[in-house]
Parts: sequence; structure tokens; C-alpha cells
Amino acid sequence: MAGNVLIIAEHWNGKLEGVTFQMLTKGRELADAMGVSLEALVVGGNVGGMAEQLATAGADAVFVVDDAALANAAGGLQAEAAVVALRGIAPRLTLVGYTLVGMELGPAIAVRLDVTAMTNCVSVDYVDGAVTVARPVYDGALHARIVLDADKPALVALQKGATPTAELASKNASVQKLAIDVSSLPKRGEIVQFIEEPVSDIDITKADIIVSAGRGLGEASKLPMIDECAKALGGLMGCSRPLVDQGWLPRERQVGASGKTVTPRVYIACGISGASQHLAGMSESRMIVAINKDANAPIFQVAHYGIVGDLFEIVPELTAQARKG
Amino acid sequence: MKIVVCCKAVPGAVTEVAVAQGNVLSYRSQFQSMNECDEYAMEEAIVLKRQMGGEIIALTMGGITTQDILFTAAAKGADKIVRVDAQAQDPRAASIVLAAALKTLGADLILTGTQSRDSLSSFVGVATAQQLDIPFAFAVTAIEKDGDNSIKVRKELGGGRSADVRLPLPALVCIQTGIQPLNYVPPARLMRARQQRPTSLSLADIGLTQDDLASKGYRIASVAPPVRTGQATMIEGTPAEIVSTLLAKMKEVR
Ligand SMILES: Cc1cc2nc3c(=O)[nH]c(=O)nc-3n(C[C@H](O)[C@H](O)[C@H](O)COP(=O)(O)OP(=O)(O)OC[C@H]3O[C@@H](n4cnc5c(N)ncnc54)[C@H](O)[C@@H]3O)c2cc1C
Ligand SMILES: Nc1ncnc2c1ncn2[C@@H]1O[C@H](COP(=O)(O)O)[C@@H](O)[C@H]1O
Repeated sequence: MAGNVLIIAEHWNGKLEGVTFQMLTKGRELADAMGVSLEALVVGGNVGGMAEQLATAGADAVFVVDDAALANAAGGLQAEAAVVALRGIAPRLTLVGYTLVGMELGPAIAVRLDVTAMTNCVSVDYVDGAVTVARPVYDGALHARIVLDADKPALVALQKGATPTAELASKNASVQKLAIDVSSLPKRGEIVQFIEEPVSDIDITKADIIVSAGRGLGEASKLPMIDECAKALGGLMGCSRPLVDQGWLPRERQVGASGKTVTPRVYIACGISGASQHLAGMSESRMIVAINKDANAPIFQVAHYGIVGDLFEIVPELTAQARKG
Repeated sequence: MKIVVCCKAVPGAVTEVAVAQGNVLSYRSQFQSMNECDEYAMEEAIVLKRQMGGEIIALTMGGITTQDILFTAAAKGADKIVRVDAQAQDPRAASIVLAAALKTLGADLILTGTQSRDSLSSFVGVATAQQLDIPFAFAVTAIEKDGDNSIKVRKELGGGRSADVRLPLPALVCIQTGIQPLNYVPPARLMRARQQRPTSLSLADIGLTQDDLASKGYRIASVAPPVRTGQATMIEGTPAEIVSTLLAKMKEVR
């Protein structure tokens, strides 16, 4: 089948996001294995600078849809602009990030182009002439390995942090500005304002050690146990999303895709299963410790040290020994 | 305002997962429950109805056993409960079925969740909006009325960022967990809700055939616990032993 590998660049505030470089690295490997080119597509308002950056970051060709109207466009228009571009470029395999932005754009694009879509992928490889992905199912303890038909274009949404970033040799790619009349596309809503969370007093991104609580904690009244442990270790308490959703802790404590990205020296996950959206916020921590009573919990996939056990036995002991010094 | 909430019955405590005939996964499960973010979507619908009036329809696609979650939806406050009698694990197929059912039902506002716990796709909501050609927003944490024919929603963009988006109606919004507190459903209310008869729609009723549900473009090769990519060292022993080993290891990391 004809067509190249293409990545859709993700960016914020004029800067390319880390996941873009992860996709470039993976995309390079796939394109080389398939014997095709690696293309990148940037869609947005005033994105020319980023396109230039991509041109020396390892892509063979860079396409840009640059229109001021896209800066405040709702997902529908962003997707439609990408769709028009992709119809022309006709890649065989498109990569997007499985991020909050990609979770909206990916399905929207895939439906319009009628391509095979695989979201939440932990890996994508070219095996025996077919693109093959792995993705979690049923709470993430199991992974399905899925082989994509070789004769149909596909879109794969790759988890943030699933593949490493490598420094790629520049291909001095050409940057091609696509002449797409964005004003002629259906608008379907508009962004009224962007909001960036102000930096709060408790900044877990600065912590040397984070002790994080998950739903395994069972009830809010047990939170002091985690907080004391974090303090005894000279660190801060973090948490998974359900604790914030239930109003147990403020959003500033939340680690993950829709919370904070943290890279402490030590991250201790207590009663956290390890959903991809949680891992997205802590997988780069230097040492990850998981305490979970389920030996199959996905958190053990990323942990450096695993403790299969009851957090109510381990955490108080950790606090006590840390206090003794 | 006519609000349709798409809710999915998801299996819990799943075991014996295997690749089965027809490119699907078979499994055993001990119970089914309403997908978590769909529960939040239901709560949001109730709040919106309180503010704006109108009606709430809970819609699910699934076999007969999945109608249990519709009773939960009715107990929470759905005025009407509808099940499309079809089974499709493929998210694209699910979006085709839901879109066809939604065309039949009609709606000003459609709420879905962000992700279902079994397929973990985050696909069906936005895909359904695209099948219907209507505006959408993903990972929404607040909805308010904005004039007669539009809503304003706050959606998450990740990393503590969000955006306020104005969407003309009809629109589809994928609800994020935490949007409203979850209300406890008293068993008596659930019992009463079980007296209701869900409307059952066949594929033919919504103008589809079994062929529309085919999973196309891929083959599920295997399903298994992932190969450990990391080198997680398991620390064993009594809690005291485990902790002293752990503290020693923690001292080594720079
Ligand atoms: C768009 C989107 C964005 C999201 N963003 C985030 C995010 O930013 N951050 C985030 O965390 N999640 C996020 N999520 C939610 C995520 O998908 C998971 O639902 C969530 O991370 C689960 O939290 P948990 O691990 O604490 O709970 P669960 O998945 O319920 O896991 C609880 C764990 O505790 C263990 N356990 C229970 N009792 C004990 C005990 N006594 N001792 C030890 N272990 C015990 C269990 O074995 C289980 O593994 C997002 C989801 C979506 C769809
Ligand atoms: N069979 C179904 N019936 C009703 N709603 C569904 C169904 N499958 C998915 N959905 C909706 O789509 C959302 C996202 O699911 P998914 O794409 O599978 O992660 C869910 O939260 C539901 O609101």
C-alpha cells in the first residue's frame, strides 16, 4: 500500500509538546522499517516556527495548516482542517498522541477519513509487513495485540511516555504550507478563553519525594496516614484522579494526564492501579515504587520496585522507620 | 432541553479473557455496572434538567443483561430508558449504532463519558458526534447555558490547562469524572425503577443491519498480561523487612 508515516504534532502556546518528539522517534523507526518517508503535520494558528523546528528534527517532510482562525477553534474545526490536509497527503499510517488533545482529535479525524483507528496504544511496531499495536483492555491488566490490515490506512493514538525520545538526524525537510480555506469549513463552536491553572502553594512538581494515594485508600479519613508518611520522608503527598473527583483532595495534588506531570527522585504509588492517564504524569520519575495488593496491577509495569501487599501495613511502617532516620 | 445520556454497562472482576470467533474478546465477569464517567454524565444531566427543564433519556447499546444499568439511570432521574439491542465491542461500530439511535430519538444535547472501563478507547463519544455531524467537546468538567441555542463548556486540555468552548446546539459533550458529586441511589428507588419497561430498539428500527457492526481493518491476535518491559524488583518479606530494604534503595537514587 502506498503512503507514508505521518505524525500530527501536538503543541501548546507556540511550543511543541514532548509527545510530538516521542511520535517523531517512533515514526522514524516505523518509516524506516516500512521503507517510506516520515511526514509531520502541524495544524494551528501561527505555527510556522514549530514547522521549521520539525524540519530539522528528523521528519522528511513537514506540512502546515496555519490559519489564525484555528487558534481559537473548537475541536470540530481543528479536526476538519487536519482532515482536509490528510486527504491530500494520504498517509498510510497516522500517529497522534493519546493525550487529552489527541483523544478529541484522533477519533474525529479517523471517522471522517474512514481509516482504521486504534487508540490508547502502548506500542506500535511494523511486524511481518503489518502495523501491529498493543493496547490495554479491561482495567489495563491485560494487553490486546492487534494486527492492522495492510491494505487500509490507519490512525494510531499512542500513549504519552510509551516510547522514548531520541535525538534524530536532521533531514533538512521542506516545509510545505497547505493552502486550505479554513473559513469555508464548518466552525462548530469556538474557544472563548484558555485557562492555565495558577501555581499553588503546594507544588508537587518541585517535590523530591512524592507519596501518592489512590482509590485503594478506601476513604478520605485515611489521607493523614499518607500525608504523614510523605512528611516523614521529606516529601509531599500526591494522588490519583478519583480522590480529587470525590472532593478528598484539591486538584493541585493530582498526578496524571489531566493533573500534574511530576519527575521526583522517588515516587511511591499507594493503592494506585496504574491507568495510562496516571502513568502519563509520573512515568519519568527516577525511582518508582508501587504498593498494591493486586500483583497484576499495571502499575508494576512501570515500577522499579514493587511491593505486593496491603498499603495499610506498609505505609505506617515506612513512616515509622523514616522517622527513626 | 432534551438530553440523551449514553451509558454503557461494563463488566467488573473480569477473568478468562480470550480472543474469540468474530474478532472479539470473550470473558467471564462477576458483575456489570454503569461505566464510571457515564454515571457522572447522568448526574450532570439531572442538574441541567433542574436548571433548564426538559427530559432525560438514558441510552445504551447492549444485550438484555445490560438493561440493569438503565434501571440505575431511571432511579437517578432518567425520564425514559432506551436500549438498542445489539452487541459490538468495536468502538467504531458502537458509534454508528449510537448515532443511528440518536437520530431516531432526537436530542438537543448528548452526553457520553470520556472512556469506558472495558475497552479503554476514549473513541465512541467524539466518533458519535462526527457520525451525526454536530459540534463536540471532550473531557468536559462544566456545562452552562449560553443563550437560547448554545452552551458553554469547560474542557480539560491536560497538564492543568483548560478551555471554555461555546458550542451551538445540538451538540455532544464527553463528560469527565468529577463534574458533579455522585448521588447515592437508595435501594427502594432502584426497586421502583425496575418496574419501568425500557424501550427496546432493534437494529432494523434504527435503519441498520448486522453488517454495519463488523469490526473492520484489524485482527485481534492475542490478549495477555503485558510482557514486563521494566525491571521491577519485587521486595518481599515482613513489612519491617520490606520497608528497610526500600529505604536503603531510596538512599541510592540520585
Ligand atoms: C481523559 C482522562 C483523563 C484522566 N486523567 C487522570 C489523571 O490526570 N490522573 C489520574 O490518576 N487518573 C486520570 N484518569 C483516570 C484514570 O483512567 C483511572 O481511572 C485512575 O487513575 C484510577 O485511579 P486509581 O488507580 O487510584 O484507582 P483504581 O483504578 O480503582 O485502583 C485502585 C488500586 O488500589 C489497589 N488496592 C485496593 N486496596 C488496596 C490496599 N489495601 N493496599 C494496596 N492496594 C490496594 C487495587 O488493587 C487497585 O489496583 C483520567 C481518565 C481519563 C479518561
Ligand atoms: N455500548 C454503549 N452504549 C452506550 N454508550 C456507550 C457504549 N459504548 C460506549 N459508550 C459511550 O462512549 C463513551 C466512551 O467509550 P469508549 O470509547 O469505549 O471509551 C462511554 O463513556 C459511553 O458514554
